[in-house]
Amino acid sequence: MAVKFTNDVTLSKSGFLFDHASGQTYTLNPTGQFIFRLLEQGEESERVLPQIVAEFNVSESTARKDLDDFLRQLHELGITE
Amino acid sequence: MNDLHVAVTGLHAADNPAPGIGVIRSLKAAGDWNGTIIGLAYDVYDTGIYDPDLLDATYLVPYPNQGMDEVFARLMYVHEQARIDVLIPTLDSELGLYRKLASRLREAGIRMFIPDDEMMRARAKSNLVQFCEENGIPTPDTFVLRELGSLDDAIEKIGYPLWVKGVFYDAYLCRTRDDVLRSVEKLRVTWGLPVLLQRSISGEEFDVCALAKRGELVGALPIRKTRVTEKGKAWAAVSLRNPELAELSAKTLSALGWSGPCELEIMQEARTKKLYLLEINPRFPAWIYLGAGAEQNLPRVLLELALGNEVEPLPPAKSGVGFVRHATDLICPLAYLEALTVGGELHHPGTHRRQS
Repeated sequence: MAVKFTNDVTLSKSGFLFDHASGQTYTLNPTGQFIFRLLEQGEESERVLPQIVAEFNVSESTARKDLDDFLRQLHELGITE
Repeated sequence: MNDLHVAVTGLHAADNPAPGIGVIRSLKAAGDWNGTIIGLAYDVYDTGIYDPDLLDATYLVPYPNQGMDEVFARLMYVHEQARIDVLIPTLDSELGLYRKLASRLREAGIRMFIPDDEMMRARAKSNLVQFCEENGIPTPDTFVLRELGSLDDAIEKIGYPLWVKGVFYDAYLCRTRDDVLRSVEKLRVTWGLPVLLQRSISGEEFDVCALAKRGELVGALPIRKTRVTEKGKAWAAVSLRNPELAELSAKTLSALGWSGPCELEIMQEARTKKLYLLEINPRFPAWIYLGAGAEQNLPRVLLELALGNEVEPLPPAKSGVGFVRHATDLICPLAYLEALTVGGELHHPGTHRRQS
């Protein structure tokens, strides 16, 4: 299922994320940026997983942990539903 | 904007900066600015007087409590000397007086764009709860304490933690009855009763600076303060694009039939994400210059409204534009002090004096 964004957010090339509704700012590491851009394009989270494995040359379990952690943080910060 | 002469009050920018300097910088940042700025100062040490290139002339004026006729006479003197087309009062404490002087000033050719008495009363801190209830606008539970005998009823109704607020200035967060007693007494001695007791909402505070004409929003600039002083004054902030803030602002100003500038203080409860209206300040905030960078130059638009010109609502503010306030030292020429102390006026280089 595609992740739904709650607020209007902009991610810059450097990984600086700005939430236009709350004014909060965040910094994403390269993995976070990679995942975020895929989600932004409407990619379903299950389809993101193999792309992390391929891009960063990590095991599926590591990729899944990183993805789950990242999705949880986005939700806790109110960026996604 | 040909050779418009604009007088602005509120020139003292210390730890609790007055909005006048931000208003003037906004006017001068407008691409078509070609006018004269007349500073109306209350004290020779009002800091804005010494900001290079800010003012064309400065005149000392009496404090509002020195009387309406004294203030009017001084304004007429300034008008004769330097001509005032538009006057922008920027301090809460002046607005009542300028409201009373509005028709006399208008007859003299001086225009303003400020809210009327009815609007001012409705948004007063002691009346805001009633206004919000009548118009379905969420605001924290508030008890207007008009006599000390009701204190325990008020505490029971609101619960801890709560804010004890003066009707004009100052607010204290209280967690015990002793805290409340101390705070109420401090405010009562300074400002008198009533004092407000208000439920504390835990969450994020947002501000919206808005300009409206007969209840219709002409422009709005929502921000989140990213750095504040001990008194909660913005020292850094960022502009936002937030439809919920825009909706609450539009609804509030429509219900008030508001005409003039204002600053809405809004709290978003962390747990529920619900927005609560905390206060409406009936003037531009000190951080108004941010609007010049966020495509929302509201002082510039106010000039058109004061002159009676038709204005189209501005597109939404550009979000993600920030400001940082920067305190610095200005060289303070003795000749400035001399001119203001002895003569009560100062003509900065390039001053336009009215030709007789």
